[in-house]
Parts: sequence; structure tokens; C-alpha cells
Amino acid sequence: MSIKLSSSVPTDREVVLGILNNSEEALNKLYAGYYPMVLQFILTNNGSEDDAKDVYQEAIIVLYNKIKGGNFELSSKLKTYLYSVSRRIWLKKLTQHSKKTNNIADFEDVLAVDEDVEQHEEKDMQFDKMKVALESLGEPCKTIIQDFYIHSLSMQDICEKFGYTNTDNAKTQKYKCLQRLKKLFFQS
Amino acid sequence: MRNEIELEGIIEDYLNGKLTADEQKAFEQLRNNDPIVDHKVVAHKVFLESMKQYADILLLKEQMDAAHNQLDVAAISAKVKPHSSKIVRIWRNNRSAIAIAASFLILAMVMLYSIQNQSKQDGSFEALNREVSQIKRSQNNLIRNINTKVQNTNIAPAKFGGSGFAISSNGYILTNYHVIKDADSIYVQNSRGVSFKAKRFYTDPINDIAILKINDSSFDHLGTLPYSIKKAGAGIGEIVYTLGYPKDDVVLGDGYISSKTGLNGDTLAYQVAIPVNPGNSGGPLLDNAGNIVGVINGKENKTDGAAFAVKSRYIVEAVNSIPQDSLSKRIPYGKRSQLQGLKRNKQVEKMQDYVFMIKVY
Repeated sequence: MSIKLSSSVPTDREVVLGILNNSEEALNKLYAGYYPMVLQFILTNNGSEDDAKDVYQEAIIVLYNKIKGGNFELSSKLKTYLYSVSRRIWLKKLTQHSKKTNNIADFEDVLAVDEDVEQHEEKDMQFDKMKVALESLGEPCKTIIQDFYIHSLSMQDICEKFGYTNTDNAKTQKYKCLQRLKKLFFQS
Repeated sequence: MRNEIELEGIIEDYLNGKLTADEQKAFEQLRNNDPIVDHKVVAHKVFLESMKQYADILLLKEQMDAAHNQLDVAAISAKVKPHSSKIVRIWRNNRSAIAIAASFLILAMVMLYSIQNQSKQDGSFEALNREVSQIKRSQNNLIRNINTKVQNTNIAPAKFGGSGFAISSNGYILTNYHVIKDADSIYVQNSRGVSFKAKRFYTDPINDIAILKINDSSFDHLGTLPYSIKKAGAGIGEIVYTLGYPKDDVVLGDGYISSKTGLNGDTLAYQVAIPVNPGNSGGPLLDNAGNIVGVINGKENKTDGAAFAVKSRYIVEAVNSIPQDSLSKRIPYGKRSQLQGLKRNKQVEKMQDYVFMIKVY
């Protein structure tokens, strides 16, 4: 019923398999496929393009976590699921900014996704906590930790990159950084 | 310090499953014996999981941002953003509702159409004689009440029930049975306003036909009847007209045969698309050539323009049933009428002396 989506919408199976295999191409297709739908919804209901981007990305993260969590059953179309999640997230945001949430103009069927969205909110809090902790860690600790834990560099690589004389020095440095980070993360 | 760094390394390797079987066993023993170590393991596990999730989502966000940058957001946004026109917005937002409403509408129209096309007519028959209000009669199918002041009559309140026409020059008048059936006394009045007393001579309730005989000393013979009776049936689409007395003066009504059967497929009658009113009952129905094809006797009360007329065949039967020697200059059957070829106004002019108002008391 909504405006015709671009022709390259992937099948639901493709998307699920793609996400399980960490395929970036599948993610790109998924992203481009349903973005207009969510954009239309947000724009029609007091939102901007930036709001649409944030909401849509959160919705994809919810879907992503659900698929990765292994307990995902394709009981509805992905399109409907993404729409419902986006809608729920946007309604919450509207309520937080105490904007009116009645008269929401809908374009798709809506599923009950409150549980998924709540789980996501918890995870999102963890994400923000980690982000804040990393930010307040300061350099070079932040980069060392990111390189080791996120970009999966070896201690040898880090040692060379930061010009430590030997890996033990690097390890000591990383240990100190990690202790601080843990403290920040668990105490916040 | 040294030890703690090593311990941390071992914990991390342990959690990532990088220890050998022996090392793992030794470490688990250490963990069981030392609650502090155990606590560190649990804490580090939580931390590592959080870090992994953070890393995953961060990666996902980067990928999505990349995907987002490939999109032409402005173009998509222009396509989907709420249209400035309210109508377009309503249309977009309620497309499904509008579609459902439209299909119901179409369904309703189809049903209406099919109901109309059923051969069964829904309306009921409404006889077209006028009610004489001063004398209450039992007849229910008279619908116009003369006493209402709608009629702007200067003369004494009219007391008539319908129309009729001459079938012979010596004062035999044909009308509808329902016009005169409850009459105590009957008068006929010609187009010049002269009344004559009449009595019923012949009645045929089944075909709704009655023949009256003028029984008045002041009545002089009529001339030769200008019209004839058409013996054959009239076809659908044939142009017809009628003269009658829905009011005090003779009124011409014009139309066409719309069906060869009357109400609910009644084969005795035609359905005629012609404007008729109470008082038209008993009026002759003529075709363009001046042949009588029927007698107006009613209309359908739910449909406009559906009047009914008794077929001329039954007029012939009625005329034949009276002694032929009592009729002088009887109405001719199936002959060329004097009206043929004349214009409508000339036909009416010639005819109106032979069409009478029937007044019943």
C-alpha cells in the first residue's frame, strides 16, 4: 500500500542467511530495501530525515540481534517486522519528547514487538555505557583497547603501532588501560 | 603487578578457549580454590561479552552508515514525504479504506442494477381514478382527494372519477370498471362542460372495462367517431398518447409503449411510459395514426412513468358483447381512422368531443 519500494528488495530468506553469514552485501540490500518505507512513516508522523535514519538503524539492530540470537522464526514478513519495530521505537521517542502520539498515520500492518524493543533498549544502554566508558578513557588507552578488542589486532601489532620497545611493555600498558576501563564500565 | 597481568592474560585465554586441556584443568582448580580469581573471571566474562556486543553493533552501524551514504535520501524523501495537498495525503494514508469503500459502492450498484433488472416488478398497482371526497367510497385505489384546495376550480366542486371515450355515436361510453364500480349514479361531461346522466350498461371487472350508456334526453347524437380500434397488438417503442381528465379540462399525455406486459407480467395490459395522474383512468390510448391501442387504467406507485393500459383486444371483446343493433355508427375495428396523417394538435381537436369526464356519485 505504501509507495513502491525499489526493485532490489531482497527476499526474507536471503536477508536472514546473509546476516547469519555476516554478509555486508545482504545488509546493504536490506538497508536500501526498506529505508523508504520507514522514511515515509517518520516523515508523515512529525519526524525528520535524521530521525528516520536513527530509528531505522535501531530497528535493523533489533532484527540483527534477533537473528544472531538464534531464536528467530520467520513468522511474519521482515518488512512488517521492521515496520512494527520502527513504529514502536518512534512512538517511544515521540512520547519522550512529549509530542502527541495519537493520529499516527500507518502504512503497513503492525505486529506486537514491545518485548523485542524493550530487550533492545537494555542492550542499547549497555552499548552507551561502553561508549561513554571508552570516551572517558582518553588516548592512547582508547585506541589500544579498540585495536585489541574491536579490530582484533595482536599485541605484536599494537606494540609496533605504538612504538613500544617490547610486547611486555605493550601488555602492561593494555592491562592498565583495561583496569581503568573496567572500573569505568562497571561503576557507571 | 607482573602476576596480575599474567593472571589477566590467562583469564582472557581461558574465556576465549585458548588454553590447552592441562592448563585449563589447572586454572579451573585455581578458580575453585580462590574466590577472588573466580570473581575476576566472572567480571571479565561480562566485560568481554559487553565488549563483543559493542564491537558488533559498532561494526553494524558503520556498515549501515556506508549503506545509508549510498542512498539518494533527498530523492526518496521527496517521493515519500507527506504531500502538501491534503487530498493527496488522505488518499495515500487511507488508500486501503478507500479501496474497500469503493468496492462496496460498486457491489451495491451492481446489486441495485440486478434488482432493477428482475422481471418481477416491486411496485403495486395504483388505479388512476379520482376520489370523490364528498361521498366517501370504499375504493382505496383512488388517490386524489378533490376536496383538498390544490385544485383551483371556480365552478362547483368537481365530482368526477375518471375519463372515458365514445364507442358509438349514440352515447355508449367506454371507461374503466374501477371508476364506476361503487357508483350510485353516473354522469358524463363532454369537453364543453355539458353533463349527461348515464347508466352502466356492461361491466367486465376482470379486464377492468365498463360501458356506460348516456341516458339523457338532452343528449344529441355524436358525429362519426374519428378513431378506430387497433385489433393487432402494439409493439414496444410505439409512440402513443392519451387524452383524459385529471383536471377539469382535457389533458394530453404523450409517451411510448415500454413493455408488452403490465404489472408483474400481466398479459392483459401494456406498460406505458407516459405521465398520467388520477383522473386519467379510462382515457383512450392512441397511436400516431389515431387508432386506439388501449385504455389507461393505472400506474405503478413506486416507479415514475410506468403506467398501465388495458389492451385494445379486450375493448373489442367488450364492444362485441353488447347487442350490435343497439350501437349506431359503432367504433370501427382495424380500419383506417380519420385521424391518420393529421398532426397531433388536429387529432386532439377532432377527438376531444368524444372523450368524456366520468363523474360518479
